[in-house]
Amino acid sequence: MPDTYTSLANSPIGKLITGQLGLPRPTILERYSPGDATISGQVLLGAAPGGRLAPAAATVLAGLSANVSTALRGDLRKAAADAGLDAAVFNGEVPGDARFKALVFDATGITDSTQLRELHAFFHPVVRRTQSCSRVVVLGTAPEDTGSPREAAAQRALEGFTRSLGKEIGQGGTVQLVYVAPGAEAFLGSTLRFLLSARSAYVSGQVVRINQGAATPPVVDVHRPLEGKVALVTGASRGIGAAIASVLARDGAHVVGLDIPPLAEDLEAVTSALGGSFLTADITTDDAPQSIALHLQEAHGGVDIVVHNAGITQDRTLARMKPERWERVLDINLSSEERINDELLSSGVLNTGARIVCVSSIAGIAGNNGQTNYGTSKAGVAGMVVAMAPVLAKQQVTINAVAPGFIETQMTAAVPIAIREAGRRMNSMSQGGLPVDVAEAIAWFAAPDSGGLNGNVVRVCGQSLLGA
Amino acid sequence: MTTELRKVAVLGGNRIPFARSNSAYAAASNQDMLTAALDGLVSRFALEGERLGEVVAGAVLKHSRDFNLTRETVMSTRLDAATPAYDIQQACGTGLQAALLVANKIALGQIDCGVAGGVDTTSDAPLAVGDDLRKLLIKLNNARSTGDRLKVLAGVRPGMIVPAIPRNEEPRTGLSMGEHQARTGARWGVTRAEQDELTARSHHNLAAAYERGFQADLVTPFLGLERDQNLRPDSSVEKLAKLKPVFGGPQGTMTAGNSTPLSDGAAAVLLASEEWAQERGLPVLAHLVTGETAAVDYVGGDEGLLMAPAYAVPRMLDRLGLTLQDFDIYEIHEAFASQVLSTLKAWEDAVFCQERLGRSAPLGAIDRSRLNVNGSSLAAGHPFAATGGRIVAAAAKELYERGGGRALISICAAGGQGVVAILESNGSN
Amino acid sequence: MTTRIKELDGAPSVLAGYGRAFASALPLVSSLPLPVSLPGGGSGELPDLELRVPSLKTDLTHLADYAKVCGFTLRDTLPATYLNVRAFPVHIALMTDGDFPFGPVGLVHLRNAIRHVRPVSVREELSLRVWVTGLDPHPKGRTLTLHTEAAAADGEVVWSAESTMLKLGGGSGERVERGADPDVPASVTWTVPGDQGRRYATVSGDRNPIHLYGLTAKPFGFPRAIAHGLWTKARAVAALEARLPDAFTVDVEFRKPVLLPTRVSFGSSTDAQGVTAFAVTDARKGSAHLVGSVTPAKKQRTSRRTTTANGGTTA
Repeated sequence: MPDTYTSLANSPIGKLITGQLGLPRPTILERYSPGDATISGQVLLGAAPGGRLAPAAATVLAGLSANVSTALRGDLRKAAADAGLDAAVFNGEVPGDARFKALVFDATGITDSTQLRELHAFFHPVVRRTQSCSRVVVLGTAPEDTGSPREAAAQRALEGFTRSLGKEIGQGGTVQLVYVAPGAEAFLGSTLRFLLSARSAYVSGQVVRINQGAATPPVVDVHRPLEGKVALVTGASRGIGAAIASVLARDGAHVVGLDIPPLAEDLEAVTSALGGSFLTADITTDDAPQSIALHLQEAHGGVDIVVHNAGITQDRTLARMKPERWERVLDINLSSEERINDELLSSGVLNTGARIVCVSSIAGIAGNNGQTNYGTSKAGVAGMVVAMAPVLAKQQVTINAVAPGFIETQMTAAVPIAIREAGRRMNSMSQGGLPVDVAEAIAWFAAPDSGGLNGNVVRVCGQSLLGA
Repeated sequence: MTTELRKVAVLGGNRIPFARSNSAYAAASNQDMLTAALDGLVSRFALEGERLGEVVAGAVLKHSRDFNLTRETVMSTRLDAATPAYDIQQACGTGLQAALLVANKIALGQIDCGVAGGVDTTSDAPLAVGDDLRKLLIKLNNARSTGDRLKVLAGVRPGMIVPAIPRNEEPRTGLSMGEHQARTGARWGVTRAEQDELTARSHHNLAAAYERGFQADLVTPFLGLERDQNLRPDSSVEKLAKLKPVFGGPQGTMTAGNSTPLSDGAAAVLLASEEWAQERGLPVLAHLVTGETAAVDYVGGDEGLLMAPAYAVPRMLDRLGLTLQDFDIYEIHEAFASQVLSTLKAWEDAVFCQERLGRSAPLGAIDRSRLNVNGSSLAAGHPFAATGGRIVAAAAKELYERGGGRALISICAAGGQGVVAILESNGSN
Repeated sequence: MTTRIKELDGAPSVLAGYGRAFASALPLVSSLPLPVSLPGGGSGELPDLELRVPSLKTDLTHLADYAKVCGFTLRDTLPATYLNVRAFPVHIALMTDGDFPFGPVGLVHLRNAIRHVRPVSVREELSLRVWVTGLDPHPKGRTLTLHTEAAAADGEVVWSAESTMLKLGGGSGERVERGADPDVPASVTWTVPGDQGRRYATVSGDRNPIHLYGLTAKPFGFPRAIAHGLWTKARAVAALEARLPDAFTVDVEFRKPVLLPTRVSFGSSTDAQGVTAFAVTDARKGSAHLVGSVTPAKKQRTSRRTTTANGGTTA
């Protein structure tokens, strides 16, 4: 649901007033509903000559039954044809009424800074021909995977391009950079599916790294990718946690909600509505990890998805912060997650191919006044994700994190209006995100075909100015 | 019973210069023009009084009185009145389809010689009476007394008198052919510049063909015209670039220059068995080897109205085991420059060839210098049914003059159809 | 006596000529002392006058109208009878010349013979020469013959015609029996509508009242309007056009007027010498309106030889 200002600004009278006063008119972001096509419009697929990802991208698009256009260029047309994609032809020189919902550009062919002009050549004719809530995805090679300093520099340059275009594109459009490691082409599917769809409504200006996963990605039903999976969601009784539970259930998972005993009633309401089950526990207690593991083992024979969402804030300036506040935030937000992870791993409750997704925060990246404890914990989560990724990879388990920005929740509703408005508007979407936006990103990481994603921290912040 | 197939010789053709609509031939009927084309052929090949196997021709725009147009025309010529004739109509494919029909009968030994042709006038186009007026006229016809008649006539409204002028429009889509092609052209990313370039080359090639006398025995002057009225020898990309778009909206790329104008004219081509030609000492310019016709679903499907030749040609090539590059000349009818370019792009496109044609590889590019070497419809004009005869005769002669070779003929037609054919020549051997 | 030659610039006005022609037909008017000279004066002899039109070009719209009214295919060459209508205003000019002994009104057309030397292209510029000979005795009056010659730019006469007209009154000479109707089977029936005379008038310019309406024809002794003889001839030649050689003469004799509207029959037959006899007859009674023949020229032009692609020739 859009915030009040966004609704007002988009009403007939509001449009008049915002137009007259030069006020921003935030686009009402398109969001995914069950049954929606992944992409609701035409996709333009392009590539710098010599790139390696157009065939993979074409294959993904073909699998999504997307309407795709390409330039009439041999390599692109062959890629499309081989993917079984009945792609239309687009020529930017020909005036026309073609409007694109998504632009996908394979930049892996750019091995020298002079070739960055390919970005301009591809995007310049079409950047004004995008529909609202458009999706731009640039595919590259991570600098560390390149063969030369010049290629590394050019590939790093893509980041500046996508972040800048994200601020320019407007109308709810998003722009991402996806680095795909050589050999990891087959793992592009879940990421492209997410980034091109309305599921990534509030994700923009992000850099995603895809590496070769442990096993060949399975083919999933794009409408119920989590079918048959068991998902543990901590802090599931309200806010973002409830949204996560809802989205995972929508995508087919059996959700096991977890929250503290006092919230048992809310928790039950949430999970029973989703056809899931629940578990009450105080995750700070010593025996919590074991009892959780035991429950998952006994009730479900293991767990496929673990979402560490439970978290608290206990804001004070450091000078006025008592040690209890520090301890409690660090313990719930970071240490308990480590303990649960360790227990699940050592007890063998984590199924092969399991996905751990943590909830970090923009506060952990940008820092926030009065949140030294919280910022520390959430940065620690990011650190944990990065550090644990290679360890978990050995067991075919992935760990990633989402870092929400300003999300419209009861928690943010309590923030004083001036600060709240600043938080809402200081991003490329000129509005706050919704809990579902965080949940969708988590569902993306949780998907069975997301094995190429490991150790990523992706912000769900509408490309917030903070910490960018 | 099995019949050995005979080779079908193209002996020559004749047409009248093509005129722009409502101009030089404004007063001429389809029958007048077809008679002129046919009589010119008769006198060129001394066919006076000869009984031919058959004459097959047609017109796209026909008056109801023209129901037996070709037979009536034959009776107006110096051919033996015992020459049978019939009409066909397959939009712009009429002329070439007529040639295929005659050729097939020759190949099967059913006839030894025949003439295929076509004619069209957009100046003397039939005007349909509107439905309301038609009903009223029936009433008037049935009225018994003068009083009744006056009563019926009192029901005439000015709006009824306006005749339903036939439009160059697809009945199923309500779009003109140009609008259809504008969409197809945009879909293939055909630029204004490449269309204008193709157009200018068509004019230059046709002008050069007239200059070197190539048309002398292909064209008979008619009603004051000696050359095609639409021909602009001094056409240039710069001049064409100044024209405003007429299709595809204000941002369109299709202009009156790079689209064929509405035209009037007629053409005929003489086909025969080798023996028939030999008996008369007539040189065989080329053989009509085979033809193919395709249609596309441009209404329910998402294919372009004029893209059928892109399907017909590969089917024909496969039948003969040929590739698109195995031709010395390509005659691709220029309904619109955009149509020709869209077709060529489709053949070069891996997606089209794989997804739509089911081929593992694109047909590939053609040598553009072999395309429409003596100009085509953009320069000559395009009286719908006459175009096939024009192309077959000119392509056969071109091959003959080159000392042999192979020609691909491709003609797109309304209704999402396409007629294509192959000519081969041994030259003068 | 030397021939007086008068050159007409452009097409003479038919209406002006007709004005004078009808004026002369009215006894009162012709006896008035008018400042303009009217036909019917002069010496009673035919004038030794030749009218020339130095430049005659074909207007395609007019040609198409003519072809349509007469049933010709519109071709790149002129229908054999077409120059009849181009010569008509010159004929009127000649007959309304002051020296002409009588006006054209009331003249009866007996015969029209055309010599078609070669096909004439619609693009050719021609010159016309018109003169008159006679007066010869006839049982019912006297006859005169209008001669027309059309020459190409190089002076070659490409078409000529003779029209024999009868001036009724003061007949003399033997009453000649009319030749028998030619034995041609009627193969075609034409329905000739009541307005055929008016339709031909619009393309020929000949608005002689006997061809227009019953009312206008009655004063001249016809119960209804009658078809123009030259139309009937043109219609007959059009029916034969596909079989006409390049060079020929077509000679017709006008028998009974075609009263409009009516149905007439047409038939033709060609003999061993290649002469085609034809007739237009009354569809019911079988009596002839028009009889004629087409005779190929003796030295018939061979078919045009044309170069074919190999540079050789075909017959």
